[in-house]
Amino acid sequence: MGTDREGDRRPGRAGRFLRRTAALAGKESLHVMRDPRTLYLALGMPVVLLVIFGFGVSFDMDDVPLAVVDQDHSAASRALAGALGGGGEFEVVARPADAGEVDRLFRSREASAAVVLPAGMQAAWDRGERVRVQVLLDGSDGTSASNVLGTAVGAIQAESSRRLAERTGGGAPPLAARVRLLFNPALRSAVFFVPGLIAYILYIVGVLLTALTVARENERGNLEQLFATPVGRVEVLLGKLLPYLAIGIVQALLVLAFGMVVFDVPLRGSVAVLGAGTVLFLVGALGQGLFISAITGSQQVATQAGALSSLLPGMLLSGFVIPVETMPQILQWISAIFPARYFVAILRGVMLKGNGLDVLWPNFVALGVFSVVAMTIATAKFKRGVG
Amino acid sequence: MGGAATAGAAIVVEGLGRRFGSFDAVREVSFGVGRGEIFGYLGANGAGKSTTIRILCGLLAPTAGRARVAGIDVRADPEGVKRRIGYMSQKFSLYPDLTVEENLDFFGGAYGLSGKALAQRIDALVAEVGLEAQRRVQTRSLPGGWQQRAALAGALLHDPEILFLDEPTAGVDPASRREFLALVRRRVRRGVTVFLTTHYMDEAEYCGRVGLMVDGRLATLGTPAELKARHVPGAFFAVRAGRRADLLAMLPGLDGVLAANPYGAGFRVRVDPARLSVEGLAARCRGVDAGAEIEPAGATLDDVFLQVVAGGRA
Repeated sequence: MGTDREGDRRPGRAGRFLRRTAALAGKESLHVMRDPRTLYLALGMPVVLLVIFGFGVSFDMDDVPLAVVDQDHSAASRALAGALGGGGEFEVVARPADAGEVDRLFRSREASAAVVLPAGMQAAWDRGERVRVQVLLDGSDGTSASNVLGTAVGAIQAESSRRLAERTGGGAPPLAARVRLLFNPALRSAVFFVPGLIAYILYIVGVLLTALTVARENERGNLEQLFATPVGRVEVLLGKLLPYLAIGIVQALLVLAFGMVVFDVPLRGSVAVLGAGTVLFLVGALGQGLFISAITGSQQVATQAGALSSLLPGMLLSGFVIPVETMPQILQWISAIFPARYFVAILRGVMLKGNGLDVLWPNFVALGVFSVVAMTIATAKFKRGVG
Repeated sequence: MGGAATAGAAIVVEGLGRRFGSFDAVREVSFGVGRGEIFGYLGANGAGKSTTIRILCGLLAPTAGRARVAGIDVRADPEGVKRRIGYMSQKFSLYPDLTVEENLDFFGGAYGLSGKALAQRIDALVAEVGLEAQRRVQTRSLPGGWQQRAALAGALLHDPEILFLDEPTAGVDPASRREFLALVRRRVRRGVTVFLTTHYMDEAEYCGRVGLMVDGRLATLGTPAELKARHVPGAFFAVRAGRRADLLAMLPGLDGVLAANPYGAGFRVRVDPARLSVEGLAARCRGVDAGAEIEPAGATLDDVFLQVVAGGRA
């Protein structure tokens, strides 16, 4: 016995390391291909999320239902109502006679904005007095309300300037702001969302998939069997990391391609910088997932901890939906712990602004620190979890 | 290595202990296992069997004492130990979503094997455990006994000198258990040492020597025959009677009766033959129940187990 083993050439230390890592990575790939849940999570979810966020969720201001309460029935009131409804932002859906009716319209969600044009408007205008116009907004959706407010006030001011110019004999108003939006001139939501979505999806999948698979192996006793072989911790971790890194890169490309083709999202910067950021972020996310699985042990707890520590920070603390700058200070500090924030900054910087490392390097440093810390703790905890 | 028992022990354990917090899972355990021996490690759940086996496999560091496996100190070089041993854990630990072949391929890779050498070993092992027709079946769809054979093949991939089997046949039907043990014994004939934990006393009867764990300590150690002679001396009789309760009330007070325990439809009586003959026992039994039948019965390791565990608690 034993002679057949001595017979073939014994590979060196590095060769055995690579051989074992390759065996682990190959086995992991088989798991992924056999498990419909993993496949769905890896490839189905990005597409579903893209469709939801790309088509369903939109902060774009189109056809906001507007109620016009015209109490003056004059040329002036009709002109202002026309100015509000003519720009494409608002669609006049109701013309109640009484301002009290607005409350009902808001409750039934028939309208989410209303403008009250007071009686005597034309007369006041003709006397050269200031006219007060009331704007009512449904504030139950804060983000929309502030956007609608800006649009409504802008339209009213434009009408005001026009009238002022008329009265002063055609001269231009003394001050006029000419706003030009850089990077996303049309303020399209998709341009803003798609980079955030890439980070969100990669974060969830990176953390959740690894947490789930390691916890599953632990629960089934596979890990103990594995550690009874000469396989080392680093090999086990690498064997997990490599296949999921590959999946993550495929996902990133999928979302990116989908975003560019369907939503016309630009990619202005370097693909290499984007790729480097993606790999760095994924290593950190996978480290986080491995850490969670090493300290939780059971699949259920690992799934919950993995979902909680990736879904919420990925969505709320990353700048994906809510800009980091507008968060309370304490949330900004908390968001600094999670890697998603830096990755969103890198994605938006590269894709929308064409930024390079010269601008984005602090985000790369932060991602690097997170990845190293997460993988180090995961490796350290891994042994204890099994030993 | 090769051939049968060569000089030097396969496993040497001296004063081994493992403490978890304030709980001693294993205390002052010492024994040796010779090369080519089947060593049975018995005990109730939680008696310290799995802890001992995990220490010997390099999966868990001892907190006291020493253990040498295949000549290697498990504390100093657990990785060296892992290369020389095969381990089959209590749970079925192959991957259920992979086929038999994929599992063996993977564990072969984990032992650093690859290419033609690995393919040949897999062919040989699949044939040895009789799973040629199931090579491409996912292990989750194999019956329990076949899963255990596949797991055994996995533990043998790197041709280990010592095989550690932690309750390998738990929950497997008797016929499959028999087949599995036959496979193990075939390996032993080729010089492999086997360290086996089990709940099944009939399985323990196959072992060259048996150690019995009670509350983390090795309570007794010896061949099955030695253990029976040491812990349950005397002659065993199986008694079948209609008035079981009356007999059970009478027998313990009878001179020469060492033990009387319910067993199946009747009970088992152990007597000191010097003080009570079979005729004497039969006469006394028929005095209570005229229909009582008495037959000689051999001692089993069950009797030893019950005696030692009860003794350990007294």
